[in-house]
Amino acid sequence: MNKNFIFIFLGIILISFATVRIASNNTIFYYTTSEAAENVNLSDSERLKLGGFVVNETISKTSTEETRFKVTDGNLEIVIIFDGYIPELFQEEMGVILDGYFKNEIFYSDDMLVKHDNEYISEDGQTYDVENFTK
Amino acid sequence: MIFYGSLILWAITVAFGPYDITQGISSKLLYVHVPTVWIAYLGYSLTFVYSLLYLFKKEPKYDALALSNAKSGVLFTITTLLAGSAWGKATWGTWWVWGDARLNLTAILLLVYLGYLVSRSFSDDLGKTAKNSSFIGIFGIIQLPILHFSVIWWRSVHQQASILSQETASTGSAPMSSDILTTLLVSVLLVTLVHFSLLKKFRKTADKLWDDYLNPKNRVKI
Repeated sequence: MNKNFIFIFLGIILISFATVRIASNNTIFYYTTSEAAENVNLSDSERLKLGGFVVNETISKTSTEETRFKVTDGNLEIVIIFDGYIPELFQEEMGVILDGYFKNEIFYSDDMLVKHDNEYISEDGQTYDVENFTK
Repeated sequence: MIFYGSLILWAITVAFGPYDITQGISSKLLYVHVPTVWIAYLGYSLTFVYSLLYLFKKEPKYDALALSNAKSGVLFTITTLLAGSAWGKATWGTWWVWGDARLNLTAILLLVYLGYLVSRSFSDDLGKTAKNSSFIGIFGIIQLPILHFSVIWWRSVHQQASILSQETASTGSAPMSSDILTTLLVSVLLVTLVHFSLLKKFRKTADKLWDDYLNPKNRVKI
């Protein structure tokens, strides 16, 4: 049509291409517990982020600063020793992302993020059928 | 009138709306965070459309509309970032997560459209400025799909989409209680009204600039 049109067209192709390349690099923010077991030396590791769900009835406060609990991705449970700021929403079955390192198969962490899912259930609103949303 | 009316109704909706029992009161930020970012998307999409129209037709009204939409979009992006940050503090335990694609890309989105607004004052020749800025308005749109799918492409802290997701589209129901969903949709409607009344305001300023540029003789002497 004219010069502007060609310029816009080429620009859009270039940026789309770059985006697909970046997206396909599969960048990850944290390891799941199974992935960590596969890719990381559990007896002695660098600092990394570990994500998982807090296992029921495993939270125990061992000292004023230290809390122990287990996280799982459904396949593998890992023992966590945590000393740091605990967000208010931390509780059983909640998703958490922990920053720390492995030593003798125990994950030592001092930094926690609570990862909330995309479900919103109100107090008096009816709950929806959860089964519909599991793959 | 519509502007203040919608703002007040929106505030009332947020104040008395239902909230998620796990997350508590802070989850009411849903009614601020989600509608504002959707309307920011709408604003930037319209900026794209009008920038394209301006580039090919060179009619001042298209440029004025592109500019007004970008202004409103920037306001709503700032709002969504502030609300999201506060919500992050309440839920995740931190104001900002640097490794999260969704968060970083939203910050970049804001910077790009701030750049668009700043680029408007690079030259006194409004015709030239409008043409150059329209390129930013056009290319800026590419960020929206990347931003929307960022939570699927990059695993991180930000939750997946609840409404604009494949699951919701295929099952026909969103993973939230119906009263929360209704409140959310009402908020979206009210924020849309705020957007269009803001547009009217910004449009007036933009039209005046164009009028000054095209008819310098009419300019009011101070």
